[in-house]
Amino acid sequence: MKAKSLLTGLVGAAFLLGAAFSAHAADTLAAVKAAGTLKVGTETAFAPFDYIDAGEHTGLNVDLFAEIGKELGVKIEWVALPWDGVFPALEAGKFDIVAGPATITKKRMERYRFTPPIAEATIAILKKAGDTTISKPEDIAGKTIGVGKATAQLDQLKEFSDTLPTKVDVREYPAFTETYADLAAGRIAGVANSLPNIAFVASQRKGTFEVVLPPFGKKSYFGFIGLKDADHAPLMDAVDAAMLKIKADGRMAELQKKWFGASFDTPDAVKDPAF
Amino acid sequence: MSTKLFELLLQASIYTVTISVVSILIGFAISIIVSAMLLSRQRLFMLLGQVFISFFRGVPLLVQLLLIYNLLPVIGINVPSIVAAVVGLSLCTAAYQAENLRGGFASVPSGLVESAEMVGLTPMQIFRRIKAPIALRLTFPALVNEAILILKASSLVSVVGIVELTRMAQDLAGSTFLPLEIFASAGLIYLAINWIVALAGGLIERSLPGAPR
Repeated sequence: MKAKSLLTGLVGAAFLLGAAFSAHAADTLAAVKAAGTLKVGTETAFAPFDYIDAGEHTGLNVDLFAEIGKELGVKIEWVALPWDGVFPALEAGKFDIVAGPATITKKRMERYRFTPPIAEATIAILKKAGDTTISKPEDIAGKTIGVGKATAQLDQLKEFSDTLPTKVDVREYPAFTETYADLAAGRIAGVANSLPNIAFVASQRKGTFEVVLPPFGKKSYFGFIGLKDADHAPLMDAVDAAMLKIKADGRMAELQKKWFGASFDTPDAVKDPAF
Repeated sequence: MSTKLFELLLQASIYTVTISVVSILIGFAISIIVSAMLLSRQRLFMLLGQVFISFFRGVPLLVQLLLIYNLLPVIGINVPSIVAAVVGLSLCTAAYQAENLRGGFASVPSGLVESAEMVGLTPMQIFRRIKAPIALRLTFPALVNEAILILKASSLVSVVGIVELTRMAQDLAGSTFLPLEIFASAGLIYLAINWIVALAGGLIERSLPGAPR
């Protein structure tokens, strides 16, 4: 009883202390401008958005955030974490925004604020080149398919699996790069990821991988993610404005062409995602 | 595998070595305090020392790192990745080293201490001339062992955003599709580092006062 009340007291004290400190946290945009640096969290295993090319952090996100940084007049500092650690760290204030990107979903919108979409995120299957047993998405019934842990693609794949006569054997991985490695090694029959990602991987490794068309599931988009609270609203507004400007003057389409081989027609904002 | 990739692995291993060495040194300093608390006659100090050891030895390092990185900001302490990594490794190794030191001090033969008292040495002299050298020599092999364990455990700090040797190997394996060559190289680099640590440890051990020749 005594120990329990002590524990409650300690936890209470910790929360009060936390509340006292967070009350001091002011407008994040002002803080970012004052520091001259926008901290961006990401995983470096999501080509072509964010990946390591022979040691260099590169991808669409790096180019796009360089432009956003120019618009805001700040430098960009990258923090690379495993994907399932990115959201807890965002909430802990380790960085100001997440580059990800993440598929814009209803569930995530309840908790986070999304920037304007940067690409379409509809899911498709990547298979080994020359695998004749998979010619359409439905052919993955009963096969082992790799997908990233804690991703929207995982939910989509499971939903799709439920519509098939035999369920898909879903294998979850910490990062998508590992799914591609296992696909190349023949440990899994395919990888489920959004079309821009797997189209890029297939183009990088012609003769090893092939995309199974058409994409399936509901049409969805990728956006960057920030916090929803009032402190972060000015920052997110500023990033949104910068991105819309980048989109309007054609820089966004150029970057999409550079990294996906084609530009996408994306809406300025996703208000009501399909799932 | 190109030399460029191997160079990148070597560069990343500098992080591995730096973080590990700094953590071992800080951990050793903390462990002296904690072992003194464990050997203290004050019950409160003893209890605090025991709580410290139970926690940092009982909770997996991975969880400790995530706690330091993600939970400290809740009470207003927002530490950067590198600090979280060093703090996590230091506290964890301090708990193990403190137990080693306590064991070392407990193994100092009481007859030696008593005869030192008989010939009139002060408690400080007894500590400096008898207890500390014997305890250090007894715990030194365990300290080298702990350094090697921390070097390997430092592969966990990628969860707080440090690109050290293991994380670099994962990134490179993912982008080059050469997992076998890259992980084999990373393994060799770890082996080389730890071999040097073990060798240096052996040399230092032989030069310690009272070491068998």
